[in-house]
Amino acid sequence: MRAGHGFVAPYMVLLVAFGVVPTVYAIYFAFTDAGGAFVGLANFVAAAEDFRFVAAVGHVALYLVFWLVTLVVFVVGLALLLHRVTARPVSRALRLLYYVPGALAGAASVLVWLFMLDPAVSPAAFLLRAFGFDTFGQVVAPEHLPVLFTLMAFWTGAGGWIVVMYGALNNIPADLVEAARIDGAGAWQTARRVQIPLLRKWIVYMVILTFAGGTQLFVEPQLLSQASVGVAGRDYSLNQLSYDFAFQNDNVNTAATISVELLVLGLVVAGLFVARSRFFDAD
Amino acid sequence: MPTDAPAHLGRRNPLSTVVLALFALFFTVPVLWLVLAATKTDDQLVHGNPLSFGSWAALRANWTALTGFGDDVIFLWLRNSAVYAGLALVITLCVAVPAGYALALTEFRGRRTLLVVTLVVMIMPNSTLVVPLFLEVNAVGLIGSTWSVVLPYSFFPFGVYLAYIFFSTALPRELLAAARLDGCSELGVFRHVALPLAAPVVALVGFFSFVGNWTNYYLPYVLLPESDQFPVQVGLGTLLANVPQFNPTAGALAVERPQLALAALLAIAPVLVVFLFSQRFLVAGMLAGATKE
Amino acid sequence: MSDTYRRRATPFTSAVTALVLAVVTACGGGDTGSSTDGTLTVWVDATRMAAAKLYQKTHPSVPMKIVSYDGDANGSNYLQTKVSLFNRTREGWPDVVFSSQNNETTWAVDAGFTAPLNKGLLPRSLLDGWAEGANDPCTVDGTLYCLRNDLSQTVLWYDATLLKDWGYQVPATWEDYEALGKRVAAEHPGYLVGSAGDTFTPEIYLWAGRCGANQITGPKAVTVDATGPNCARMAALLDTLIRNRTLATSSVFSSDFGKNLAGRILMMPGPAWFGGALFQGTFKVPAGRIAVAPMPQWADDVTAGDEPAVGNVGGGTWLLSAHTANRDAAADFLTWVTTSDDYQGEEAPGYPAYGPAAKTWLANQASSGYYAGDIAPLRAAADQVWSGWGYGQFSQEAIWAATVTPGLNAGKSIVSLLPAWQEAIVNHARADGYEVKE
Repeated sequence: MRAGHGFVAPYMVLLVAFGVVPTVYAIYFAFTDAGGAFVGLANFVAAAEDFRFVAAVGHVALYLVFWLVTLVVFVVGLALLLHRVTARPVSRALRLLYYVPGALAGAASVLVWLFMLDPAVSPAAFLLRAFGFDTFGQVVAPEHLPVLFTLMAFWTGAGGWIVVMYGALNNIPADLVEAARIDGAGAWQTARRVQIPLLRKWIVYMVILTFAGGTQLFVEPQLLSQASVGVAGRDYSLNQLSYDFAFQNDNVNTAATISVELLVLGLVVAGLFVARSRFFDAD
Repeated sequence: MPTDAPAHLGRRNPLSTVVLALFALFFTVPVLWLVLAATKTDDQLVHGNPLSFGSWAALRANWTALTGFGDDVIFLWLRNSAVYAGLALVITLCVAVPAGYALALTEFRGRRTLLVVTLVVMIMPNSTLVVPLFLEVNAVGLIGSTWSVVLPYSFFPFGVYLAYIFFSTALPRELLAAARLDGCSELGVFRHVALPLAAPVVALVGFFSFVGNWTNYYLPYVLLPESDQFPVQVGLGTLLANVPQFNPTAGALAVERPQLALAALLAIAPVLVVFLFSQRFLVAGMLAGATKE
Repeated sequence: MSDTYRRRATPFTSAVTALVLAVVTACGGGDTGSSTDGTLTVWVDATRMAAAKLYQKTHPSVPMKIVSYDGDANGSNYLQTKVSLFNRTREGWPDVVFSSQNNETTWAVDAGFTAPLNKGLLPRSLLDGWAEGANDPCTVDGTLYCLRNDLSQTVLWYDATLLKDWGYQVPATWEDYEALGKRVAAEHPGYLVGSAGDTFTPEIYLWAGRCGANQITGPKAVTVDATGPNCARMAALLDTLIRNRTLATSSVFSSDFGKNLAGRILMMPGPAWFGGALFQGTFKVPAGRIAVAPMPQWADDVTAGDEPAVGNVGGGTWLLSAHTANRDAAADFLTWVTTSDDYQGEEAPGYPAYGPAAKTWLANQASSGYYAGDIAPLRAAADQVWSGWGYGQFSQEAIWAATVTPGLNAGKSIVSLLPAWQEAIVNHARADGYEVKE
């Protein structure tokens, strides 16, 4: 029906302009040199041989592992605990409190954490000192960065997912939980045998969407690098490295190779999602 | 009839209360600190109790200093953020909702392909495309204009996907079939049947679009040549560069840390307001796919 | 099926795309940049904003657009990023830019951004007024591409009251300085004779110690010898004093320094701008306490009759755009802002790089009554900045911050970190296209 085309036409325009064309452009730059001549995989090799590349890959990978594990464990755990709270106003208040930091996503959250991590001004100074950190410089030591970025990401991102998981738990038919209780299952067993399996598709959804965002790590390490006067390095993540390639070394070609690599990674993950989430397909 | 429930079910475990309370502290104390920090002088920030209230006078002084920086540039940045996010919101809604509706409830050639492409593009990280996007926008001569930011913002495949899920599960097909039988054109069906029922998804897509665009850093950072055009998030980065504790070369006209805290509060205020009212349709919209007939 | 769809869709969507973009290009397309209506576009950082505003006030007939940016501080590379973008859009360059960095010519000349200043634009007599060696970072193959704003020659700042009360002498050699540090650790623990926690620490101590870690030998050539004897002996001195806690390991601008150490400074080797920005501005030390002495030297260098060597931390440069349409106005502003007594002599926070303005500045500082004693050592040090440490495209401060500072924070010694520092400098230099000799 022609009308269908009419409804999607504006979206198609934007899809082509801002989805397809930049992707094609990125691929073009990744395989050509500054003069436009085709150079095969030379740019990929050059980018990979940069002394910062492997480290950046490692940083992002380590961060993703920390972040995704923390996210799943604590979001599911907290949603389950919340679900067992019987007083409705308390449950609602807690959910709101967990959710509010999401409003600070981005630069504002980094600013807040710059102060939370400084033993001289932080309300959690006693905790930092208990770990043996007396100065901001000690807190942002390179080996702590995956944990710090996970903390920041969790603080802004967990609340929304807890709210959604809580909603999903509410959708589980009460008689299933009741049946488990009658069988003698305790709280933990009910969770393991009834609730978590029914949450699985939401957990997968959450992991896949978060994975895509996690590989894009840029704002947090960039601002932290600035605020720590360089102690947290400026080429920590792949996106930062790509940015430096493009604007510090004026080399768009090696910068584009990182774009292409992250795109391929995204495609793989997206493919997994499409394959696994047939149950989202409403047809 | 069993009268005794097993001892640990139905009674709140003290450990779970402690855990929930600790996390509540974790999530709220930093925000509380931010609000209090704006009321202090820099000296109080360092030497006083982190969670103490400063003074109204200090708050006024911080406000004056912050607005004095760059001659009220903070308001310019806030205005920019509002314009970019607002324009993008309108365009996104006009584009994504009909597209999602069409993908869900109409038949046309290539519908499945478009759906799969949307799913794929939705997952792909968009900040990897910023550099090629810059070159593309430059190639059409749009660098420096508001549209260079608003149009990329308006491309929101996730919004299309949410609308698709919503329309395919929340709208009874019988209703649409009846309307078509009555002689309504497709556009009429959309306007008179689907749209009135679409409030939740419009709110949801609008919410994600607005919040995502308001907090976007990388795209405006690369695409906008002048600091006057920055949205407030990128402006926060500029202010940060003028705080002596974070940048030793900042001299006499430096920004003090409490002023930075105040700037952060201003930057998040609109989003915070939206957040306070958004929980309900967040759950309703996200879980629409779970409640299938 | 999908192929047919695409074939039908493509001409349709591309037509719509073209239409949309044509419409917005027609009404959008913000015109930013070097304007032909005579407006002078000037980019300054927050500190130099006062200079631009003063020029506007004293020259009300010149239409100006003053834009504030981060001054390229902390290795932000903002200027290079934006110029690279402007080069692609072929418009938008500012007319005059202040940068807090001294190494802009390492990329700006190749990018075609800076205009030559000594090829007739500015008179030779004017350019001769700069302190010796001050404009070296701005000179590429004999052509001058920028002008130094201020000098940041290092001197030995000290608290004259404390020194007198405790009966110490100002150390003339590094050996004396180390000995003094040991005495302070024993007699007045908790007090500092310096700070090793800043990213510019190598520019204070190692530069003054003639460490060869940053010998720029050509536009894209550098010799790196960070493990040589000069570097090693200064590193050993720093380690000794860090261990006995007379050298801080926090940045002087950090919150914990401000909270715990600001009131316990006996002396602090540092650049000329420490006087105003640090002691007066940040620590708010009362007047009449802070005094200036020459930077210590190694004893054997003194006996050998070598020229004294001091370090340099920053300074800043002014660049004039090669694309400017307002060449005369821009040159006029550039001249005024770097040489005028009104700004450099009276208002500038740092020691002016232009000689005559520096004289005015010194006289003002002396008459302000803030400093105890004679500040003439500043004048002498202006000509003693060691020429063996240059400015490459890679940021030595960023490399030190990422390589040595974390090790320091973890308790390692600087001597043990020298090889890692060497390797990092070499890697960064090579990544920036430098030919490196070790």
